[in-house]
Amino acid sequence: MLDHVTDLTPITALGAASPRTESFGALTISENAGLGLASLALRKGQSAPQPFGLPLPCVGKAVSMGAYAAFWTGRDQWMIEATGKAEVDFAAMLKSEAPECSVTEQTDGFTAFEIASSQGAAPIEALMRKLVNIDPKAFGPGQATRTGLEHMTVFLIRRADDRLAVIGMRTLAGSLWHALAVAARRLED
Amino acid sequence: MTRLTGGLIDRNAPLNFTFNGKTYKGFQGDTLASALLANGVQLMGRSFKYHRPRGVFAAGSEEPNAMVELRTGARQEPNTRATVTELFDGLIARSQNHVGPLERDFLAVNDLLSPFFAAGFYYKTFMWPKAFWEKLYEPMIRKAAGLGSLSMLPDPDDYDKGFLHCDLLVVGGGAAGLAAALTAGRAGAEVVLADEDFALGGRLTMESDLLDEAAATDWIASAKAELESLPNVRLMTRTTVFGVYDHGIYGAVERVSDHLAVPGDKVRQTLWRITAKRAVLAAGATERHMPFADNDRPGVMLAGAMRAYANRWAASPVKQDSDAIAIFTNGDDGHRTAMDLIAKGANVLGVIDARDAAPRFGDYEVFAGSTVTGTKGRLGLTSIEITRNGQSQWHNVGALGVAGGWNPNVHLASHHRGRPVWDDSLLAFVPGPNGPAGLIPAGAAAGKGGTEEALSDGMRAAITALSEIGVTASEIALPKAENMPSEQVAFWHVPGTKRATKKRAWVDFQNDVTVKDIALAHKENMTPVEHLKRWTTLGMATDQGKTSNISALAVMAELTGKSIPETGTTIFRPPYTGVSLGVLGGGDTGPLFRPRRLTPTHAWAEAQGAEFVEVGPWMRAQYFPRAGEATWRETVDREVLAVRSGVGLCDVTTLGKVDVQGADAGEFLNRMYSNMMGTLKVGMVRYGLMLREDGHAYDDGTCARMAEDHYVVTTTTANAGLVYRQMEFAHQCLWPELDVQLISTTDAWAQIAVAGPKSRELLTRIVDEFDLSNEAFPFMACSELTICNGLRARLFRISFSGELAYEIAVPARYGHALMQRLMEQGADLNATPYGTEALAVLRIEKGHAAGAELNGQTTAQMLGLGKMVSAKKDSIGAVMSRREGLAAEKRRLVGFKSVEPQKQAMAGSHLFTEGAVQDMSTDQGWLTSSCYSPHLKGYIALGFLENGDTRMGEIIVAANPVEGQTVKLEVVSAHFVDPEGGRLRA
Repeated sequence: MLDHVTDLTPITALGAASPRTESFGALTISENAGLGLASLALRKGQSAPQPFGLPLPCVGKAVSMGAYAAFWTGRDQWMIEATGKAEVDFAAMLKSEAPECSVTEQTDGFTAFEIASSQGAAPIEALMRKLVNIDPKAFGPGQATRTGLEHMTVFLIRRADDRLAVIGMRTLAGSLWHALAVAARRLED
Repeated sequence: MTRLTGGLIDRNAPLNFTFNGKTYKGFQGDTLASALLANGVQLMGRSFKYHRPRGVFAAGSEEPNAMVELRTGARQEPNTRATVTELFDGLIARSQNHVGPLERDFLAVNDLLSPFFAAGFYYKTFMWPKAFWEKLYEPMIRKAAGLGSLSMLPDPDDYDKGFLHCDLLVVGGGAAGLAAALTAGRAGAEVVLADEDFALGGRLTMESDLLDEAAATDWIASAKAELESLPNVRLMTRTTVFGVYDHGIYGAVERVSDHLAVPGDKVRQTLWRITAKRAVLAAGATERHMPFADNDRPGVMLAGAMRAYANRWAASPVKQDSDAIAIFTNGDDGHRTAMDLIAKGANVLGVIDARDAAPRFGDYEVFAGSTVTGTKGRLGLTSIEITRNGQSQWHNVGALGVAGGWNPNVHLASHHRGRPVWDDSLLAFVPGPNGPAGLIPAGAAAGKGGTEEALSDGMRAAITALSEIGVTASEIALPKAENMPSEQVAFWHVPGTKRATKKRAWVDFQNDVTVKDIALAHKENMTPVEHLKRWTTLGMATDQGKTSNISALAVMAELTGKSIPETGTTIFRPPYTGVSLGVLGGGDTGPLFRPRRLTPTHAWAEAQGAEFVEVGPWMRAQYFPRAGEATWRETVDREVLAVRSGVGLCDVTTLGKVDVQGADAGEFLNRMYSNMMGTLKVGMVRYGLMLREDGHAYDDGTCARMAEDHYVVTTTTANAGLVYRQMEFAHQCLWPELDVQLISTTDAWAQIAVAGPKSRELLTRIVDEFDLSNEAFPFMACSELTICNGLRARLFRISFSGELAYEIAVPARYGHALMQRLMEQGADLNATPYGTEALAVLRIEKGHAAGAELNGQTTAQMLGLGKMVSAKKDSIGAVMSRREGLAAEKRRLVGFKSVEPQKQAMAGSHLFTEGAVQDMSTDQGWLTSSCYSPHLKGYIALGFLENGDTRMGEIIVAANPVEGQTVKLEVVSAHFVDPEGGRLRA
């Protein structure tokens, strides 16, 4: 039983009925409330599986295939992403793909903010320079890392030259949005 | 007006500004100092100690004298250097450190009392009577000290921060810096060029030298245009690199909008953290002066600054065009100033050159082998005394330029305790070989101050720097330039002011330190430079002695008979120039000052009118007031009684949750917790106590076994991060052999405590076909289940309140809806939301330990949990918990009831036997938690009392000496409610 029909109505990490989107010049920040997340960790002596056909990436990398993606989070650990699977038991889906591994539901552990630029890489890189101590030139598409942002811990995934995902703790969603929005707004000048 | 021709000011862009309330005109491109000079204003402030009239002395960030207060209201900023303040329309500036008008400062009386204010005066003068120091002397000195004043209003501006990464950071955009940036930029390296000035070019903008036989500004413009066109180069003007930090990190402040009247939508300043693989220090050089008698009058300034004002800002240093200007020099450089002034049509008296064989480079008088031995002019220079071979003559002049040689700006190169080294041919300290790794000095900062040599040295430095990181850079075509004559002699100050004469020669203008003060320091054996600095205050304050340190060393060297390098040198700490605390703090203020964690039911609680409390980064509902409740206590009492009689709901998401999986999960938890976790049955929860390595209690929580190889561990709210980190450390470093996987799930699940005798009834209404009977789901059971038609959830039958209670967890996005649903379904059961205050009362009534009891100083035995430290296995802290010192600890957690029920003993009060003297030797323990118990209708408390477990019924005293309070307490069991635990198991 992966899907369920509950009569409870969820709210987004930012506390609203629907996800927030706001544009600041070339940058648009969108709350990706539909992103399912589950962590996958290898048990002792296991070799990495290929859940949903994903070749699990090495240190500092992210991969994606269709609706599924994965990024490295630690030794023998990954976070698996599934577009549109936030309200189903995605951890159970992943567990059935990798039954021997340790799988933990993480969907609501985090909030994902997707940042898209309408003018190529430059606005994304300018935003990064205001927020994180990561060299944008060394953080191209396919790179992922965990870093500090305004005293919060976040995952960054460079999904493309012109797209960056910032995945932070769900309970800090409001503060994270504020930090991103203020930095993006200041770049509008 | 004393505006000259030419200059790099835009005469089509006039600007109005005020200084001490009077309106003046300047132009775009002016600094406040240049505009004041061009308006004939020489007097700009008063000195720190003696309140002597002072004028501008330099033309850059080294300025010691021309300190002003800028702006008004909340934006008023004291101690701002007029020399680096970009003029804008409407600028308001005031002089500072005077009582009454600037021209008639009442505190100038200090100057008459100067014999009492000699070096070290406050170490000696205020020694007696001792009692006067705190009450009289110190407040008096504090009132008189300081230069400008604060607005005492909150800073209205926004500040920002950012991070840059580059192959090469070029500090300084003068000849060497531009050459370095062009060289590296063309090689394709990632380059950041930062300059504190608002214009690029450094000294090139202030000299009359030609580059490629054209004005230097042409080459600067083309270099700037090329650098701007290169995508790999970032040009940052108005940006001061103020410090070198570890691992190639440089701190820089960009003054984004200080040149505007108000920042508008912009931030005021940005703090940049620049990570550079290599850096070129092209920070130029600072000119030094030569102290002589009465050398501090307005109108006396550095000759290089005078040249800069004439060439770049078309400003003459005199009050009226007809006033003569003299130059006092020990080398060729002073003559350049005379030549440039003459070219601008100024009235030059001549050059007073300390050298007998002084050269002449043009049509002006040379006073060879001469020195300046005195000056006159109350608020500005009117005449100087020129002395040659003992023969003196007074000359009328309106300004005097002093050229004592140039000191390379070695500051950043000495930030990692890199010692500058003396270069006898340059008569200056240059950066030494042990400066910050990866920082390569170039140009004037490296002692190569000629234009031609600065350009080529900048290029060389860039090529060297890049070759070290594997980037090949080629030589570039540099503009044709000359090195101007720069012969000089070692002449440091004009003799005759060291001894007890009335003549004073200032070395450090900002701190009013004279040659005589240095002589006094020498006499009192304060000869090491570190002592000299602290005894005389030389080199302190906002300019950090940029124009005075080397001159002071030279005077001390002469007094000690040693060479300058033998005498020593001062090295420099960050920041290079003053950095505002606002930009260091950066970012947000007020409620946005730090990130806030909101629980899944935050919005719901807000809608109920909850009051919130900060718990670390969390905002938790503290209590939920209702109409008609006059005090918070009334609300909390109602919430507590609702839990005890019906059912209460509390968001407990903040408790840390760690998912522990793996074949060795049980063994891992056995080692983390003092009690057995490996034997726990699947579907059950166990209370756990975690010890620190030293044997003290660390944290408590619960372990729920969801499957053979899967536990969900909860921690206290406060220790969630610490416990997770401790577990990761143990997993990765202590027992990497165990098959364990850990991940935090604190945020993933909304967890709501459903507590009270009617909790089962309420939960029955939302679960999907799940048997909640005591038999099927007993106390300390746990299970996965579905609720509300198919939503996955976790249910734990655990209790903090002592009542029949559960905690139910759902994916966080459903927490809000679940709380609403529970309230709807529980309306007839009087379902009541409760906050952290009621939570605390409930647990004190039940005698459960929390943060106040687990404060890092308590042990399992003290908590009455000694038996939980299993002897059948090892765990972190177990061995240390048995050491003699801890095992002998006799204080035990017990309960207390106020003998007078309505009298509260405050937590933190210390416990004493009734009638005993109250001091450390008779101390019997302390109260940890205290509250009003609506259940018992009186005040109760928890605390640690010596042998408390054997003293039931005894009356003791809780003393709170801070508030002069003593309260009589009866020692009772910590379990005020249901000591047998029947309610929990109902």
